[in-house]
Amino acid sequence: MKIRAVTIAAGVVLLAGCSSVPDRAEAASGVALGMLTAVAAGNGESACATLAPETLHELEESAEQPCAEAILDEDLPQPGQVIGADVYGQWAQVRLAGDVVFLAVFPEGWRVVAAGCRSRGEQPYDCRLEGS
Amino acid sequence: MKKYLRENSLGLVFGLLFLIVLVFQALAGHADFNERQVTEGLPAVSLARYVTSASFATDVAENWQSEYLQFFLYTFLTVWLLQKGSPESKSLDEAGLESDEEQKVGRYAEEDSPKWAKVGGVRQKIFSMSLGLVMGVIFLGSWAAQSIAGVAAFNEEQLSQLQDPVTWSEYVIMPDFWNRTLQNWQSELLAVASIAILAIYLRQRGSPQSKPVGAPHSATGVEG
Repeated sequence: MKIRAVTIAAGVVLLAGCSSVPDRAEAASGVALGMLTAVAAGNGESACATLAPETLHELEESAEQPCAEAILDEDLPQPGQVIGADVYGQWAQVRLAGDVVFLAVFPEGWRVVAAGCRSRGEQPYDCRLEGS
Repeated sequence: MKKYLRENSLGLVFGLLFLIVLVFQALAGHADFNERQVTEGLPAVSLARYVTSASFATDVAENWQSEYLQFFLYTFLTVWLLQKGSPESKSLDEAGLESDEEQKVGRYAEEDSPKWAKVGGVRQKIFSMSLGLVMGVIFLGSWAAQSIAGVAAFNEEQLSQLQDPVTWSEYVIMPDFWNRTLQNWQSELLAVASIAILAIYLRQRGSPQSKPVGAPHSATGVEG
């Protein structure tokens, strides 16, 4: 009886930190769409708040401008409908009409690592916005 | 208690060593995973997060499946395959399933024989193969687990490299799956071949894996 209770408690503790895959996919999709919507609305500050630190740093370094201005010059696609999302471990790929966005998990939640991505078959996606 | 520990020391010691090494594997794997996270500009993950990850599950499962494949093949094939001079082999005239009398089944079962050794029918047949069957089932189960965890871990790496994920049926014909599988199989099969052949010529006094120190090299199927 005692062993069973301990086993159940261990299982609850292990699972406590886990969300379901559909929940995580939905959260990642929300961040991706939110970033593109902010860019389309000219709200560079909000868009930059969704970027991964390395991506933001790379953008500012290559554009030689603050992120809030540079991101609006990246010619990112208009926000389209979310077609699908895949989540594996610390990473997500969100496919929208007209764009593919890659995100990773940070303490604050999902952050955009690469956006404005174009498929190159077997090669990695070619992305207008990406970290180093 | 002392008697219990003495009479069960083999299982207890190896069970405990397994748990200790598994813990250290988790710690080393966690450190390795976080090194890659930092290289990719991502935050480190907690140990709890790592030991519930596909990456850890794959690393555990790929090793378990090959161990149970080894035990399954070793248990099953040594019914028929012989190695002259090896204590790992049966005597040269004993190949095959042996007689009921030699195996103490059915009417030749003794008073303290397991119940299913005497019962006859399907149950006796299953019990007669239960060791190989269970090893085989655990092998298949852990190999399946390796493939399921493996595709998730592979896809996590795919996304980190800005590449598309693959399906399970695509993954199981990919080099990553077969590289992991075959590198584990080769070492297990080498281990069985090594012990079977080395034990012909070398000795370990007191070990049931060895012939008696003074036994001739040609003596087959004897234990020290």
